[in-house]
Amino acid sequence: MSSNFVVMIVSLIVWLGIFFYLLRLDKKIKDLKRR
Amino acid sequence: MIWKIFTGFLLSGVIIAIFLLPAPQKELGDVSRIFFFHVPVAWVAVLAFFVAMVNSILFLRKNEIVYDIQALSAARLGSLFSILALVTGMIFAKNTWGSYWNWDPRETSVFILILIYGAYFALRSAVEIEERRASLSAVYAILAFLTVPFLVFVIPRVYQSLHPVESVIDTKLKFQLPLPYLLVFLCSILGFSLIFVWVHKLEILLCKFDKDAKKE
Repeated sequence: MSSNFVVMIVSLIVWLGIFFYLLRLDKKIKDLKRR
Repeated sequence: MIWKIFTGFLLSGVIIAIFLLPAPQKELGDVSRIFFFHVPVAWVAVLAFFVAMVNSILFLRKNEIVYDIQALSAARLGSLFSILALVTGMIFAKNTWGSYWNWDPRETSVFILILIYGAYFALRSAVEIEERRASLSAVYAILAFLTVPFLVFVIPRVYQSLHPVESVIDTKLKFQLPLPYLLVFLCSILGFSLIFVWVHKLEILLCKFDKDAKKE
């Protein structure tokens, strides 16, 4: 497995982690706003 | 909501494309791929500082605290993205110039910029009265932004620098990158700008909740 492929997978995991965290935060803040 | 999902797919596609395409500069090798991250992050930092300045002007004109919250949030994000730009630049410097820190005009000017905005947060924490804090920091944010064009665009071009210039646009304002790289680069710029808008909105809402909670 090339090192480029490994870096790509790690970058994707990090990005998707940030993305889903932001989605969760977004949902929580919307719930707070409704209350 | 759709644009947030779009951002997710867009930046995932950008990451895959960055590693599937051959390195943009063969002489520099794989480290030149950092260009697709470093330049958009630096662009968002300038955009964020601009948003902070615009909100500061609006605060001074309308005297509504919401603009102060928006300016603070933008300045925070601008500082974060400046640090990211500096760190990615240092990684590039280590691999191409041999050391993480070279006192290159570009590195130094971005470092000074981070310090300038660091002083903005210090100023905010030093003033306790809300209205006074908001108006003082608004004036400071406007003055701080006046340094941005000099520190980011002028100084690195006036003094001799190791930093690559004209890697995106040449002096005749023509794109230097081949089409596939240009597309990935523009998508990366768009993706990071959308992330800025998203996080900026979230932070403003969080600041408002925080303020309301303190009032209660």
